[in-house]
Amino acid sequence: MNVIETENLTKIFGRKLIAVNNVNLSVKEASIYGFLGPNAAGKTTTIRLLLGLIKPSAGSVKIFDEEMTFNSSHLRRRIGYLPTDPKFPPKMTPIKYLNFIGKIFCLSNEIRTPRLSKLIRAVDLLPAASREIKGFSTGMTTRLGIAAALMNDPELLILDEPTAGLDPSGRKSTLELIKELGREKTIFLSSHILSDIDRICTHIGVINQGKIIFSGPIKDMKKLIRSNSIQLEVDGDIDTFCGKLKSIEEIASFERRGGYSLGIDFYPGVSIPKVIIDLMKLVSACKLELLSVNTTTSQIEDAFLKLVQEEESHGLLRAIKS
Amino acid sequence: MGSSERSNLKEKITPFLAMTQADLEGMVKSKIVWGWIVAALFLEVIRILSSRTMEASFTITEGLSDFIFIWSMIIIGITGSAVSSESGELADSLLSKAVKRHEYILAKFCSRVALVFTIYLGISTVLAGLTMRIGVNDIEIYGLSFSILVVALVLIMLTTMGVTFSTIFPNTIVSIVTLLVVWYSMTFFFSLIDEIKFLSPSYLIGELPKIIQGNWSGTEWKIVSGFSLMCIGFLAVSLLYFSRKDV
Repeated sequence: MNVIETENLTKIFGRKLIAVNNVNLSVKEASIYGFLGPNAAGKTTTIRLLLGLIKPSAGSVKIFDEEMTFNSSHLRRRIGYLPTDPKFPPKMTPIKYLNFIGKIFCLSNEIRTPRLSKLIRAVDLLPAASREIKGFSTGMTTRLGIAAALMNDPELLILDEPTAGLDPSGRKSTLELIKELGREKTIFLSSHILSDIDRICTHIGVINQGKIIFSGPIKDMKKLIRSNSIQLEVDGDIDTFCGKLKSIEEIASFERRGGYSLGIDFYPGVSIPKVIIDLMKLVSACKLELLSVNTTTSQIEDAFLKLVQEEESHGLLRAIKS
Repeated sequence: MGSSERSNLKEKITPFLAMTQADLEGMVKSKIVWGWIVAALFLEVIRILSSRTMEASFTITEGLSDFIFIWSMIIIGITGSAVSSESGELADSLLSKAVKRHEYILAKFCSRVALVFTIYLGISTVLAGLTMRIGVNDIEIYGLSFSILVVALVLIMLTTMGVTFSTIFPNTIVSIVTLLVVWYSMTFFFSLIDEIKFLSPSYLIGELPKIIQGNWSGTEWKIVSGFSLMCIGFLAVSLLYFSRKDV
């Protein structure tokens, strides 16, 4: 079943700004769908349309196979939402706030109280459970937002930039939590951080200037670019190493990126394991220290940039033809 | 009513009650509200002590007029920001949950009406009680009760107007400024036009001493109907507008 389905979804603000342009996407049950796009691409507007907070100018949104409208509170009962930079009543404490949210969802006291205790513990807010929210850091606010999003034990979680403003350890723990939640729930997660999406998502939608330019499994997106490239990070006499790279026939080209990083492209159709073995032998022969070998990070960035460039050139072509 | 019907009803009103309670608790903790209560009580006590030789009806009228001319500014501040100050993230975090649009707006109305009415009733009761003991007692009890309640109705109308403007105008400052302009225009200019002077709070203040003394002019029903209809009208506009508006 598709938990989220949009058809020709469009939102125009004030007859001037097309924030979301003919978006068709579907999110399957039990998937973690990453919604990727640069700032002002239309991610948050799309999410607000999915939640029924704003009305589409055209098209439709279906959640759990039912049309989402302003008054679809019965659908929102099954959704947990974490906005970007969540705001809370400043004088409330986490306990009071989660209790309030529990009441909004008509949870009985027998369910509400143990659940809010469990959630406060799960998001590591126990030491601050009785403190006023106004003194909270960004990380604490995000964690409270996640707890609030889970208070109704939703089937669908919609998270808008959940790692925004977090430090590296905060990001790591948030992503791990999301991945864990993804085992039981459907998650729709928006971000402009490519590595976050790559790390935990099963499916991806790429949006740029309000238009979806790709939607599908992440592996299909990675197939869009050539798989014959590798990023190598080494420490030592890199100049000598680069000089000897030409001895490996399968290497088509290479590029130095920064002081110790190399991007190496192979010819199509070569045996990549053989090339990697030859590279490692060369690293050893040049007495270099191997820092990292990476075939995935640059792929998703390249795939994203390639999609954006293709979409922009199609746009240019449309403009020229018209 | 069976238990399943009771539990359905409880489920229907629980979100509304939870939001109203949370809003009220937030306002009760506000320094502005407590400052208002302290300042109002202080002013009324000073007024009563300096009016020992005056007739009680005039002292009470002056005390009640403070709510129309002075404390109305605080009411405007509290109500003019009711919805507009939350538009965006805070409203999103509620409206993205199992909350209907009308429940959210009704909670805003009810919490603010309850706060304004409670504070007004408390202070006006102290005012009336002390004045009757200290001043020259020319009060007729039904007239006094009616006067207190009709000023309460005017303040409730102001409250509903404030929440409505806050719903319509996304900017809090615009909402408050518009409210100030409309309120003070009503207060001063409506009294100059015979056909609608009964909708002017300052006209009402002029009539209050006679009403408190038990001298009814016959326009009281027009005043009550006029302000009641305005309350209902603003509430309806607010509910209708918010039910169709992007948050």
